[in-house]
Amino acid sequence: MIKITDVSKQFPNETAIDYNDITFEKGKSYMLLGASGCGKSTLLNMIAGILSPEKGSIEIAGEDMTKKSQKQKDKFRIEKIGYIFQDFKLIDEMTVMDNISILRLEKVDISGIDDVLESLEILDKKNKKVKHLSGGEKQRVAIARAIVKKPEIILADEPTGNLNFSIGEAVIKQLVEISKGKTLIAVTHDERLGKYFDCTVDMNKMTGGRRDV
Amino acid sequence: MFKFAFKNMAIKKAKIILVVISIVISACVGLLAYNVAQQVDSGFKTTAGYYDMIIGPSGSSTQLAMNTMFFTEKPLGTISYEYVEKLEKDMRVNKVVPFTMGDSYNAAKIVGTTADFLDGKDIKDGTMFTEKFQCVIGAAVAEKYSLTVGSQLITSHGLTGEGHAHESNPLAVVGILKETKTAYDNVIFTPIETVWATHNHSEENHDEHEEQNHEHHGDVCAILVKSKSFNAYSQLSAEYGENSKLLVINPSEVLREVLENVDMSTTIVYILCIIILIMNIFIISVITLLNMYDSKKEIALMRLIGIGMNKINLVYIIQNGIIGLISTILAFAASRLCLVLMGGYVSSMGIVLDTAKIYPVELMIMAVVFVISVLPTVICTVNMSKKDGVSQ
Repeated sequence: MIKITDVSKQFPNETAIDYNDITFEKGKSYMLLGASGCGKSTLLNMIAGILSPEKGSIEIAGEDMTKKSQKQKDKFRIEKIGYIFQDFKLIDEMTVMDNISILRLEKVDISGIDDVLESLEILDKKNKKVKHLSGGEKQRVAIARAIVKKPEIILADEPTGNLNFSIGEAVIKQLVEISKGKTLIAVTHDERLGKYFDCTVDMNKMTGGRRDV
Repeated sequence: MFKFAFKNMAIKKAKIILVVISIVISACVGLLAYNVAQQVDSGFKTTAGYYDMIIGPSGSSTQLAMNTMFFTEKPLGTISYEYVEKLEKDMRVNKVVPFTMGDSYNAAKIVGTTADFLDGKDIKDGTMFTEKFQCVIGAAVAEKYSLTVGSQLITSHGLTGEGHAHESNPLAVVGILKETKTAYDNVIFTPIETVWATHNHSEENHDEHEEQNHEHHGDVCAILVKSKSFNAYSQLSAEYGENSKLLVINPSEVLREVLENVDMSTTIVYILCIIILIMNIFIISVITLLNMYDSKKEIALMRLIGIGMNKINLVYIIQNGIIGLISTILAFAASRLCLVLMGGYVSSMGIVLDTAKIYPVELMIMAVVFVISVLPTVICTVNMSKKDGVSQ
């Protein structure tokens, strides 16, 4: 369970977002909808421990992320969280396997990689350089890297943002399928994908947008 | 960790090759300049030792000193052997050694002298010459021309190895000098009588016009003198210096003058090296920083997926450490290769460069090169670690 309580995040441009309290249940999938700048990605980054709120607490399985050091947050993220980024965050010049093998730097077990790539239908691309893959294939590689370590939480920041609808829909279907039994929180602009998630959260109502500090 | 560092390097081959070339060139120049300057300096100082006076025909004092001590350049001409006999009878003199040069065996010059000239030099194989037409050869000559004790040499007239052959007067190798890493390694030594006999014989059979440096019977190119005291040296120097046909030099003084010029050149080379090294420190730092700037995306993504900053630091330190190490090793190898290539040229000036000679300063240069190829990475990654992955 992920519990967001009284969180406020300030930005360098002297604006801030105040979040309403929200709880994400274990084993459920959530779609976060909302206008640009309403704080969807910031929330994911705070849950992942990449950003820290100025105020409030973010509890994951009873542990307050805001109390952890950066090193502890990094450790938590590599062990417990699979993060899928909108722009894939892959090294184009490296192969699919090399991109996933980066996790080995932190001694993450990636022995199940072939099964994961198989399930995402990209096993045949394993030794291809990322720059030679299509957008949909790159997104699947990003998903594979996020889920190969069997994380308890999967965060996806606009996983379909760079894909056309049909490919995006296929990717979301696969992502939801793979995430069964885990907590999935995905940010998207496309309301049509809402049917694949257990819950849809309107972030416009959860934050009220940015305010000047 | 190493595997990832190598893979990461493999995708930036072109940039890394440029970095390596830049480091290798700068470090090689530094290493080479220092090593050559040191070896030339110590080569001069070692040789300028024993004799306090050299007498030759009038001319250039540097030429006389370089010819008699480093066997370089042509002799100034000849003077009568009577001076040798006169000096030998002089009570103020400890040792007198005649010196002639006019023939060669391929590229090796032949020096006619006495066994005293080789005092302090060890003979590796065989014995010292005792008779006419015997010779003792330098270690490099033996190696270069595959000569052993018992070999016969057909010498040729002149110093280029291309003059007419003295076929009727072959020299027998009776000894091979131990390698000294000096000009002695490149020379053949024979009794002075050999030179006289060879040319008497030649003149009987060849009606050739005489060259200035062609020795006649009873002539020598120079006389090396060790006097009994400084006072004796001063008197002898003054006496023989009065003779306008003669040139009297103190080899140490002449070599000091030569060295002053060399020192000046060395200083200029050092200044140039320092400028090159500073420029290269700047270039290496900029290239490394640009590399790291390109790597910012990778570092940011690694941070975002949860790779700890210490691991990321380690990857890039390993990566740049490998670049630094390879560059330093290549720079060292390149400097030794240049030493080998320069060896032929420098040995013709009488100094044999020892490619195995490593000075502590060279190790320091290599250490500095290694450090400056890694340091910018450390600074860069430490700065990056202060920011979060998103703002990168």
